[in-house]
Amino acid sequence: MKHVVIDPITRIEGHLRTEIQVDEATGKVTDAISSGTAWRGLELVMQDRDPRDAWAYIQRICGVCTSAHALCSLRAVEDALGITIPKNAHYIRNIMAATLTVHDHVVHFYHLHALDWVSPVEALAADPVAAANLQNTVLGAYRLPLHAPGTSNTEAYDHDFPKASPQYYAELKDKLKAIVESGQLGIFSANWWDHPDYKLLPPEVHLMAVGHYLEMLDKQRELVTPHVIFGGKNPHPHYVVGGMPCSVSMQDGNAPVNTARLDIVDRAINLGRTLANNFYIPDVLAIGSAYVKAGRVDGGGLAKTRVLGYGAYPIEPSAGTQNGGFFQNLLVRCNGVVEDFGKGLAAAKIYEINEADFNDPAVFTEGVEHAWYEYPEKGPKDRNPWDGVTSPKYTGPKDGSATEWKALDEGGKYSWLKTPKWRGRVCEVGPLARYIIVYAKAQKGMLSEPTWAEKMMLDQIAAVSKVLALAPEVWLPTMVGRTAARALDAQLAAEVNKFFFDKLIANIKAGDTRMANAEKWDPSSWPKEAKGVGLYEAPRGALSHYIVIKDGKTANYQCVVPTTWNACPRDAVSGHGAYELAMMDTHVGIPDKPLEIARVVRSFDPCMACSTHMFNAAGEKIRVFTTDPYAGIKVDE
Amino acid sequence: MRKEKRGGKDVEKRESMWDVYLRRGMSRRSFVKGCVALTSLMGLSTDMLPKVVEAAESKPLPVVIWIHGHECTGCDESFIRSGAPLASDLILTQIALEYDHLLAAACGEPFEAHLEKTIETYKGKYILAVEGAACTKDSGVYCMSGGHTFTETLRRAAANAAAVIAYGTCAVSGGIQAANPNPTGSSGIAQFVGKTPLVNVPGCPPIPEVMTGVVMHVALFGTIPPVDGSGQPKQFYGNRIHDTCYRRPFFDAGMFAESYDDAGSKAGWCLYKLGCRGPETYNSCGNLRWYQGMSYPIQSGAPCIGCSNAHFWDDGAMSERLPKFAYPIGDVDKIGAAIAGVTAVGVAAHAAASVVQRNKHRAEKAKENGEQVTK
Repeated sequence: MKHVVIDPITRIEGHLRTEIQVDEATGKVTDAISSGTAWRGLELVMQDRDPRDAWAYIQRICGVCTSAHALCSLRAVEDALGITIPKNAHYIRNIMAATLTVHDHVVHFYHLHALDWVSPVEALAADPVAAANLQNTVLGAYRLPLHAPGTSNTEAYDHDFPKASPQYYAELKDKLKAIVESGQLGIFSANWWDHPDYKLLPPEVHLMAVGHYLEMLDKQRELVTPHVIFGGKNPHPHYVVGGMPCSVSMQDGNAPVNTARLDIVDRAINLGRTLANNFYIPDVLAIGSAYVKAGRVDGGGLAKTRVLGYGAYPIEPSAGTQNGGFFQNLLVRCNGVVEDFGKGLAAAKIYEINEADFNDPAVFTEGVEHAWYEYPEKGPKDRNPWDGVTSPKYTGPKDGSATEWKALDEGGKYSWLKTPKWRGRVCEVGPLARYIIVYAKAQKGMLSEPTWAEKMMLDQIAAVSKVLALAPEVWLPTMVGRTAARALDAQLAAEVNKFFFDKLIANIKAGDTRMANAEKWDPSSWPKEAKGVGLYEAPRGALSHYIVIKDGKTANYQCVVPTTWNACPRDAVSGHGAYELAMMDTHVGIPDKPLEIARVVRSFDPCMACSTHMFNAAGEKIRVFTTDPYAGIKVDE
Repeated sequence: MRKEKRGGKDVEKRESMWDVYLRRGMSRRSFVKGCVALTSLMGLSTDMLPKVVEAAESKPLPVVIWIHGHECTGCDESFIRSGAPLASDLILTQIALEYDHLLAAACGEPFEAHLEKTIETYKGKYILAVEGAACTKDSGVYCMSGGHTFTETLRRAAANAAAVIAYGTCAVSGGIQAANPNPTGSSGIAQFVGKTPLVNVPGCPPIPEVMTGVVMHVALFGTIPPVDGSGQPKQFYGNRIHDTCYRRPFFDAGMFAESYDDAGSKAGWCLYKLGCRGPETYNSCGNLRWYQGMSYPIQSGAPCIGCSNAHFWDDGAMSERLPKFAYPIGDVDKIGAAIAGVTAVGVAAHAAASVVQRNKHRAEKAKENGEQVTK
């Protein structure tokens, strides 16, 4: 049995450490630790702030999924204050969300995940003519040209199409060769390039994918121009409670939004569509099918047992979360929990998620059994976010010192992430969860009159099942399935983007130019006390924000975040979280070079800053127990 | 790995930008084009082009180590949004990005060993880019990476660097996690940098081309860019957003948006009364703008939140106007009300506001004349 540490896990957001126990003879992982190793305390910073500013503060949780927390925060505050935003603002917020999802997924696959599959070193053996031919074959075999029906097509032709000439690949190969021979590898330094997994793909796939890595690095910046037009910048665009700050006027050249500005947005939306259809989906299916053919259908973990979603893209402005408006208005009804999908559709159990689950404090809770926090002795073992208590209790590692770790303590506390639970159980969230839920609900007849988006998701699943020659319940809950579902989600989001852009244009055309509802801008119009919940399907999965407003100020702010669901520490009753189970469901070929572990963890697209800021803002005095090796045990009150 | 003789010893030969262009089979023409892009990017006049070409020919490719403290990775993300240079060109031909959590292929032990090797090999020669705040409370245990505290890595990497770039408001002054009550005792990185020259590049995040421009200046000229008294590059932080804002004429004329989405807002009038912090904020949003001139928050109808200012998170509610908590800018309500006297009052109010700006420039001019900022 070998103890293997990967710290830091790179190509993610934030600070993550994993430790595994692996049987060297069989490659089986018998135990795994996922630890968020930093904690920033942002929710405490929210205390007493103006709720109208909450989006700006809480957006700084994460600059990768920038806007996810801002949008969720706006929903929470508007739910608390009973604000319905104008249609234009609502459509634009959906465009901001869909734009983020397309961008985030593209960057994740090409820049954060691809180097787990492809190698610039392997690419050196490629034949440029064969690479050009391969690109054509990949496009022929793996494009899934699906579109939202009835949406506008403003592109004369696909402006962004993969290059497939031998000359291009010959030049690219020469450049890679020069870099490798220089010995100064920059971002390609020190990886396990000699790992046998890099031999699973032919050299031409490596060359093609490295080319796309570079092209997408240049293209990704153009995908987010809608954020720059509507929010003034990216990362961290601007918003406003009650709508959007970007007034629209076709009468004034100084207006934030007019025809010329909308054309920039449309161009970016078209780009997202073509990048998903011509690069992302074909690349993922080409690589994924090679892995599936090699028998790599592992890494599913918790996805086989339990997944959770809240529902995505309310079609029209909704009147709130707690009154159920949000759930009656969804373009993608992935609100639900699916259990035992890995046992087949017949055995799968489906539970609907709606407002009742957020009004009942027993449904969603968080535990701290293995997290560096403590709860008061009196009171429940697990607490609802409304009632959250966060009292940090750092206990250091099992082996090493408080500031120099060798091994964390799997039997005790080992992470800054709490353990979120649905009815006492851990769940996996994310694009994979969304696809499993919509698929299972549709198959069990729980989606009356599927929307175009739900139909498209089912078509996508059917098409991939055909390519892989496997049933959805076999390929979806795997590491490859998690990565493929994200690609499908990007393609869907690109279409959703166009759908809402068309609605925006139609609404402005009909004469409605309202962009912000200022009726409740003045705090004197607010109730003395109010509470709100915002729900949002972020790129990484189900996100919820909870706010309590008292006397015009933020009295409590809590976030339950996708990466907390996925990367959480274990729990005595419910067992391991999604990262840990996925690692334990992954075969490790060479324990000293645990590429498979890094790959399966990255298949979740970790976002640690999102997950580790957990703190309640209820105003308790923080008590910190430290085990400082120089000062001895210290209690800082 | 190529070697060359230096001081009688075999040392690793470091490649200049021109070497890289040669090795990668790129033309002299594309090399000069790259230099032109850099020249304009760095806010230099085209007279400077020969100097840029010379610098790029002879200076070795700068080694960059990029480390992360308490942060959100928004600064990394901004960096890869750079339009000129493009991120791909930058990281493959203009710098050697040897250590960066976001983009590096490697992870875990070999990656940490590579950091140590890079620090040792390029001692005193590499640029350290730091994103995120330094967590100081309880010996820094709230920010661990690679099994040790971030502050320990920061101290060691900074001590051996040629220059340190603090990217983003978190690295410069603590940022969001340092906002009241600062639960983790976070601060800017300066106290861990020691005597190594430090360039402060604030913003939440900074503008993409400002981020790439600063590292390229160090790379090409071998010095940190000229900085003001607070260590901020003058070429990017020398002007108030208010003084470069295209909506400035509306301020001077007393024409303001009074609420979101009112007639003034639709007409693109000044956002001062909605809490705009442009008058106290030094940044390039008004001149460079975001996405190579595409927009900035004010152009999109949103008041500036002053994100490049130290401790801006604690400067009152964002909807509060400047006079409520910062230096006086004149009574703009009177400007709006007294339509008849718009010009006169506007100019008067503005003259008061500009005193601050003028004094700042004056102080800096004196400093420039007296002592060259070379660090």
